Amino acid sequence: MTTLLVAKQYIRSFINKYEVYLKPLMKLILAITSLMMINGKIGYMHRLDDISIVLIVALMCSFMPMNFIIFIAAVFTVLHMYALSLECAAVALVLFLVMFLLYFRFSPKDTLVVLLTPICFVLKIPYAIPLTMGLIGTPASVISVGCGVVVSYLISYIADSATALSGMDTEDVATKFRFIVDGLLDNKEMLLTIFAFALTIVIVYLIKRMSVNYSWTIAMIAGAIADVMILLIGDLIFDTNVSIVGIIIGTVFSILIAKIVEFFAFHVDYSRVEKVQFEDDEYYYYVKAVPKITVATPSKTVKRINTPKRRPSGSQSRR
Amino acid sequence: MINEEKVILMTKMASYEANKGKKDIAVTHYFRGDYIGFQVLKSVIAATISFLALFAVYVFYHFEEFMQDIYKMDLLKFGKSVIILYLCVVGAYGVISYVLFASRYSKARKSLRHYYENLKKLANMYDK
Repeated sequence: MTTLLVAKQYIRSFINKYEVYLKPLMKLILAITSLMMINGKIGYMHRLDDISIVLIVALMCSFMPMNFIIFIAAVFTVLHMYALSLECAAVALVLFLVMFLLYFRFSPKDTLVVLLTPICFVLKIPYAIPLTMGLIGTPASVISVGCGVVVSYLISYIADSATALSGMDTEDVATKFRFIVDGLLDNKEMLLTIFAFALTIVIVYLIKRMSVNYSWTIAMIAGAIADVMILLIGDLIFDTNVSIVGIIIGTVFSILIAKIVEFFAFHVDYSRVEKVQFEDDEYYYYVKAVPKITVATPSKTVKRINTPKRRPSGSQSRR
Repeated sequence: MINEEKVILMTKMASYEANKGKKDIAVTHYFRGDYIGFQVLKSVIAATISFLALFAVYVFYHFEEFMQDIYKMDLLKFGKSVIILYLCVVGAYGVISYVLFASRYSKARKSLRHYYENLKKLANMYDK
């Protein structure tokens, strides 16, 4: 444990020291990952499905604000869908427009979740998102996570029904349009996932703020169980055909990720809790103070300085 | 000699100035009513555009039915219900943004006031 804590201190100081370089680097990696995933999943516009274009755009993203990556990802998605069919692009455009105009106008800090949720869906660990957002976010994160879920289901729906869409008659615009909107709105699995994630975030957030010991861990596990239960019960009611093994394995991995987040964001020593009570003129105070775990990073101390041995004077004069 | 208290205060203030303070100063340059009114106006415009987009999707989705019933249906009644829905949506969104931006303004004022207090404290330290 101590080595882990020392490692944490090292990572912290490393990040503090090189933040100027690390921030653009992280943005670059995030942009490349998300754009490559979009290209891999719905790469219908061949001009965009090109590693050099992805690299150039990602490089641009690394010097822009974080929300720019989301904007670029949305543009990529709409363009790919345009290459597949105009109707798809129209639906996606309206969806993104409403999202940007109505929600991002308030510019909350967790807009990044909209990008991370589809990535986690591809990695099969979407359950990590509500758990971590409940831990480090607020209940308002429900909206961001919901947007992210809708976007990921839209992308996967379009990817799945691409052959059906391209097989349809190009003249029949209205039918195609209906097909897409129906597929998006009647997707019970999506609605169920949004509901489950929203409830998980609220549960995790509420339990995390309680003053019981190990509240973060309890919150995580309770949230994960609630999430799995809702998804499974929903599967029984709506027959959504989710893979039970997938959910359970994904949830276990998500708890691990949430645990890592906890390690960096909130690490306290519950064995040294101090409870104190005092009063002043107006209130009684029941204070519970939980000490943070800190370790001093071992620093190198110079004990002895070796002076370089002098060469014999004869060797200097000889040339 | 380095005055530790002064350095801590100055660091805190500099970090506030560089990050959150920038926004707060921009916000408090407006009068409260002006700021909130402007933001609510922007929200109303955003809500209108979104409503139009969603309405277009709705109309397009039911395009065939509309084409069939266009002469039969009561257009006035339909228009009325659409306008009422629009007003409800925009009203609700406007109220939400009013509350949000009002609280944001008062928060900005508060932290800026705190900043000025610190500034005064710092000036007093130099006077000593």
